[in-house]
Amino acid sequence: MKKRYLYLLLLPGVLFLTIFMIVPIFLTIGTTFFNESGFTIQGYLDFFKDRYFIEILLTTLRVSLFTTIICILLGFPAAYYISKLGKRTKAIMLLFTIFPLLTSPVVRSFSWMVIIGKNGVINKLLLSMGLIDKPLDILYTPTAIIIGLVHLFLPLIIVTLVGVMENIETDLLKAAESLGASRLAVFSKVIIPLSVPGLVIGSILVFVGSFTAYTTPALLGGKQRVISTFLYQNAITLNEWQVASIVATIMIAVTVLIISIMNGLAKKLNPKG
Amino acid sequence: MALFTLQDISVAYNKQNILKDFNLEIEKGKLVSLLGPSGCGKTTTLRLIAGFLQANEGKFLFKDKDYTKVPVNKRNFGFVFQNYALFPHLSIFDNIAFGLRLRKISKSEIEKRVMNVLEIVNLKGFEKRYPQELSGGQKQRVAIARALVIEPDILLFDEPLSNLDANLRVNMRVEIRRIQQELGITTVYVSHDQEECFSISDQVAIMNKGVIEQLSDPASIYKYPETKFVADFIGFKNFIDFDKRVDHEDKIELSKSGYVFVIQKDAQMINLSGKIGAIRPDDLLIRAKDISEVVSENSISGRVKVSTYLGRSFQYVVETPIGDFTVNKEMTESYRAGQEIVLEIPRNQMVLVD
Ligand SMILES: Nc1ncnc2c1ncn2[C@@H]1O[C@H](COP(=O)(O)OP(=O)(O)OP(=O)(O)O)[C@@H](O)[C@H]1O
Ligand SMILES: [Mg+2]
Repeated sequence: MKKRYLYLLLLPGVLFLTIFMIVPIFLTIGTTFFNESGFTIQGYLDFFKDRYFIEILLTTLRVSLFTTIICILLGFPAAYYISKLGKRTKAIMLLFTIFPLLTSPVVRSFSWMVIIGKNGVINKLLLSMGLIDKPLDILYTPTAIIIGLVHLFLPLIIVTLVGVMENIETDLLKAAESLGASRLAVFSKVIIPLSVPGLVIGSILVFVGSFTAYTTPALLGGKQRVISTFLYQNAITLNEWQVASIVATIMIAVTVLIISIMNGLAKKLNPKG
Repeated sequence: MALFTLQDISVAYNKQNILKDFNLEIEKGKLVSLLGPSGCGKTTTLRLIAGFLQANEGKFLFKDKDYTKVPVNKRNFGFVFQNYALFPHLSIFDNIAFGLRLRKISKSEIEKRVMNVLEIVNLKGFEKRYPQELSGGQKQRVAIARALVIEPDILLFDEPLSNLDANLRVNMRVEIRRIQQELGITTVYVSHDQEECFSISDQVAIMNKGVIEQLSDPASIYKYPETKFVADFIGFKNFIDFDKRVDHEDKIELSKSGYVFVIQKDAQMINLSGKIGAIRPDDLLIRAKDISEVVSENSISGRVKVSTYLGRSFQYVVETPIGDFTVNKEMTESYRAGQEIVLEIPRNQMVLVD
């Protein structure tokens, strides 16, 4: 076998990505650093002085963070439960887990509108039970966005975690038990640390996904802008392509930053992972 | 007095009995091994003692207290797994300290005890490494250290050496025995390597299909198996199912199809009623038959059926009127297939089993 020529197989994929992704990204980033008079970072300076934009950026980060935390809290026990099941039941449960992924985010967002809207199921229920006097404002708030995003990303983190937890040898848990560990100690000292790799990958997926999500915040957020809807507004509605490019660049930077922070954290928590 | 006792234990998986009316008593400070063919229930017994498994019936007594329902983490028994089961996310030090940290022991005390046990298993200087950075033998030592450091009341080993190569296995078993005796820890050791069990145990329990067939010191088992299964398992390949047994003052007379054999009554011989004679292939005498020879006491004539070269010796399968025999013979003399020979069973080499 002439292994040397095998890399040629990569060529079509690499070319495609270069032409349609890498070049446009760099062009986009490039344009943000130039105006009529040459190189400048004025665009960014203006941006970070803008209270409105900072507000949107922080809201987006906050929403992504809460979504990630809630996904971990809900996903971890569920994943552990599923990973302990027998082969058949596990397959069925995983199928149910990823089932929501098969419906479009638009449909799901509309369902949530029906549930959490002013005249939605939840408000009607709470009103009729006399627990509240006027409908709660959930729809068109960050909370609504978080609810929608958790629904969107929970399957992702569960599937990732199940993959990692399945590979934890049961003898390790038994060893811990025989050394005196209670159920809780086994969980916190063995299962959680050994799930860190899955937790990191899952969190990155959820966080970055939430940070860049468009449909869910657009439909459930109402007037509440997040960074992706803000970008859309500038590019399509206001035709401010320069601003849109700057927003896009900031999004890329934040994403890269988040991933490297998470990876660093993972290394610290699990030096041999 | 027994340190712990398994009393009329039954264990079933999917309604199938794995252990039935199982009884075992072990004294303090002894190393007892469970030996038997694959699937006979050795691991099940060990898991039961450890508490990983609940018996359907019966009791587990520890120091005369009923421990049947005591959970694993409250038992203070050390368990050493076949595949080591070291925590991959913890350093060697932290692996060993795991049990101590759960016991709320002071930091300096933990440090002292971990270092001490590292010295016992000859692994000083390895405390900062991670399990992935150790060889199989070193991992097994860490596993032993981790179980030892909690000062367990019972130490349980499930085929701890089966993943190691032959040389290392011998070294490690000597090591295990040394540590066990030095610290006087009551130990149950599972293996299906006969030599391993015999060389390190105070007592060996030979198991078959969920039952202990015989429990005694290694030498007694080797010389005086009590049942056909035990005899077969430890290398008595030849069995004669006698029709008649007559006990005399100093000897026993046995006969099958008119052929009579006599064995010496040995002071230690235990079996009072067995009628199956068992002989090792090495203990049978074989010689070429002279045409004029009158076959003498304890001998029977036959013909070589198969002759196999084993390296240091030859193995013959011999056909006789009372069945086939397997005989090993040093290679100086060899017999062809088809040759007429005489087999002799020395008076003191046959044991009677049930
Ligand atoms: N979890 C289980 N479910 C059903 N049957 C089991 C289970 N574990 C063991 N068994 C059965 O119980 C019997 C005894 O198993 P055990 O593991 O105790 O054997 P063993 O003596 O340790 O064998 P080996 O030398 O191969 O390790 C076997 O027939 C096995 O098939
Ligand atoms: Mg076993």
